Amino acid sequence: MKAGSLTRLWPLAILPAVLLLSSCEAPGGISPIFPTPVSPNGQDIFDTYIGISIPAIIVFIGVELALLWVVIRYRRSRQPAGYVPPQIHGNFKLEVVWTAVPLVVVLAIALYSFNELQKDFQPISNYDFEVVVSGHQFGWNYTYPQAGGFTIHQEGTLAGDVTPFVVPVNTLIRLRMQGTDVIHSWWVPAISGKTDAVPGYDNFTWLKIDRVGAWRGECAELCGVGHSTMQIIVQSMTQSDFDAWVQQQAATQHAARSTSTSAS
Amino acid sequence: MAATQVLPRPKAYDDTFWKPITLWLTTTDHKLIGIMYMVTGLLSFVIGGIFALIIRLQLSQPNLSVVDHETYNQLISAHGVTMIFFFVTIFLTGIANYMVPIMIGARDMAFPRVNLLGFWLVPVSIFLYYGGFFTGGALDAGWTGYAPLTEKAYQGHSLGVDFWALSIIVWAISGIMASTNFLTTIVALRAPGMKLTRLPLFVWAQISTSILLLVVGAPLAAAMILVEFDRQLGTQFFTTQGRPVLYQHLFWFFGHPEVYIMILPGFGMISEVIPVFARKQIFGYTTMVAALFGIVFLSMTVWAHHMFTVGMNTWVEGFFMLMTMLIAVPTGIKFFNWIATTWWGSVEFTVPMKFAWGFLATFLIGGITGVYLASVPVDTQLHQSYYVVAHLHYVLFGGSVFTIFAGIYYWFPKITGRLLNRTLGEWNFWTLFIGFNGTFLIMHTLGLEGMPRRIATYANPAWATTNMIITVSSFLIAFSVLLFFINVIRSWNGGEIAGDDPWHGNTLEWATTSPPPPYNFEKVPPVHSFMPLRDLRESGQLPAKPEPAPAPA
Repeated sequence: MKAGSLTRLWPLAILPAVLLLSSCEAPGGISPIFPTPVSPNGQDIFDTYIGISIPAIIVFIGVELALLWVVIRYRRSRQPAGYVPPQIHGNFKLEVVWTAVPLVVVLAIALYSFNELQKDFQPISNYDFEVVVSGHQFGWNYTYPQAGGFTIHQEGTLAGDVTPFVVPVNTLIRLRMQGTDVIHSWWVPAISGKTDAVPGYDNFTWLKIDRVGAWRGECAELCGVGHSTMQIIVQSMTQSDFDAWVQQQAATQHAARSTSTSAS
Repeated sequence: MAATQVLPRPKAYDDTFWKPITLWLTTTDHKLIGIMYMVTGLLSFVIGGIFALIIRLQLSQPNLSVVDHETYNQLISAHGVTMIFFFVTIFLTGIANYMVPIMIGARDMAFPRVNLLGFWLVPVSIFLYYGGFFTGGALDAGWTGYAPLTEKAYQGHSLGVDFWALSIIVWAISGIMASTNFLTTIVALRAPGMKLTRLPLFVWAQISTSILLLVVGAPLAAAMILVEFDRQLGTQFFTTQGRPVLYQHLFWFFGHPEVYIMILPGFGMISEVIPVFARKQIFGYTTMVAALFGIVFLSMTVWAHHMFTVGMNTWVEGFFMLMTMLIAVPTGIKFFNWIATTWWGSVEFTVPMKFAWGFLATFLIGGITGVYLASVPVDTQLHQSYYVVAHLHYVLFGGSVFTIFAGIYYWFPKITGRLLNRTLGEWNFWTLFIGFNGTFLIMHTLGLEGMPRRIATYANPAWATTNMIITVSSFLIAFSVLLFFINVIRSWNGGEIAGDDPWHGNTLEWATTSPPPPYNFEKVPPVHSFMPLRDLRESGQLPAKPEPAPAPA
């Protein structure tokens, strides 16, 4: 009877198996942590996430073990025949403990998160330059201040031909988010969190990418039929490559502008 | 009050679903209305589940087009609206409608006709919503329907949004009626001896839920009315020229408490189930009640945690973060008290108890991920990603749905007079538990890797395997729900006869017959504690029954 009732618990074995599986950092889409951050604000979010995970995992394991212990130890088949449980109406001291301890833990987590919030989510003024990021149905426009303010059009696509948003490495860039029609949300997980592009006011975020490469993201706020096509690629270059790219863009857009004016 | 002669219904009338249609249409009996609420909720569960399966088919591999993007957006909206408004809330209203008057020893609700009207507004609301599909397309902006995407300029091609807004207004009116009715009933119609300090915890949960819905139902209706003004009269409340974020504030002032409207009755049911099967009284009755009201208060101070990416002042964000995290404290109290209730107990893992335990094991994960999401910096990463989808399903599926199943397996014998089959129930539980965790545990990782929610398809091949596992598991959930319905239909027709008190219950509903007569009690038993039936049993006033050896489910 005892063995029989325990073997009926076999499906519980799936839980540790799934946990074990998800704790390996596998490239196949089951990583339990964020992608490696490439910008300081992303790094701080990453660290906050890891920091919260320490009490979270302790609480998770502790409570699940308690639940399992009840299943193993206090099931009726494990108790002597005719066992009458003690009738306990409560215990004031115990209840104070499990009110106060979680309170301290969440206050600590809140304080810890608030420090990070004050550090990275305040409006910044010491940036190197600002790019205006404008979301529309369905794509992103990036207007650069240099060389007469050319604009990169990152139109929505699912075919993989995303026009990259190009930035120089190790440069603090402020992004001024604007929405022209509905609400969009600009999100590149390796860089930082999301920032909504809301019509009616400007919203700000920043990035400072520390290495050369390209990172993907997409719109995170349902914005209509083409929502899933609003892919983002952020490409970072060395300063000299970036300068050359800026010259080239300015020239192309200038040429395009003069052709269209002469044509009209 | 004039003495009216109440004739008992014929027996055949009581324990079968097939009553005359005129009775169903006109009844003011809280039990029949409760059954209609529950059946409506379960039918919505099936419809919403079918939407979910189509969504999972669409996402099982990259770049699929099982449905086109516009249909997909309508499906995700319909899935959310159906499950939240038409399944969980409606089902829980139903089970409370059935049980609350009996548990407090009343004959019916305080306002039977309001009860009748409140229920019949629900099908009106449901048909209004689905009516949107016949006007060129239903709501396609997600169940939250963020403006300005719902405005005429972007949704001019159909009346789906209008039908949704009207449907939600009707739903809110119905909910306000039901809440008023519950509160009045519980305040005014308690049996002699049923002091507030002796109310079953499920009734306390219903009080807190009703207070919440009373407070937040009106702002929801107001937001929907403003959306309609924008669309049909050309006002500029939430348009691109207006203040779209104001809509989010109004919506989430309802939307977050709604989460607790969907889980507090579940907490109540768990608080009924666990003491009965552990053969111990609830640990810390008073703190359990206090925790409920702590949650009620805090839940109305956290709405903007859904809006951490819109660019608010960091101190405001800090406030909402703090209040959100504080909810973990009363929820933790309830958790620890439930566990303490079973400690040193003699716990029988019947099917309702298994669902209660499954609820604790899974809801814990939803609670913990909720703390991550409350942290503003971390939330800016996780917000609107599949991490949130996983979190909310741990809370609403691992939370509400598991508690609903616990409640059904627990009270089905009382409602129908017959027990649900235990073997099918065990299969139902284990397939649901595995299917659920298989679907949603791994889903967290998709969000961490950057898959936003509500995308109709994706190009990233790295997400393909995970999505396939999720889709396969979701069909296991569907299989489990199918088993459940087979069990309900079979057992309702030919299940084992339950008797009045198959579980050795503590509360008044087990003192009457199964199913109860139209007037609920021949004679309301005396109430001297919050476990009146156990008092009777221990004082020998109930015929003592032997322990049900191989107890049925």
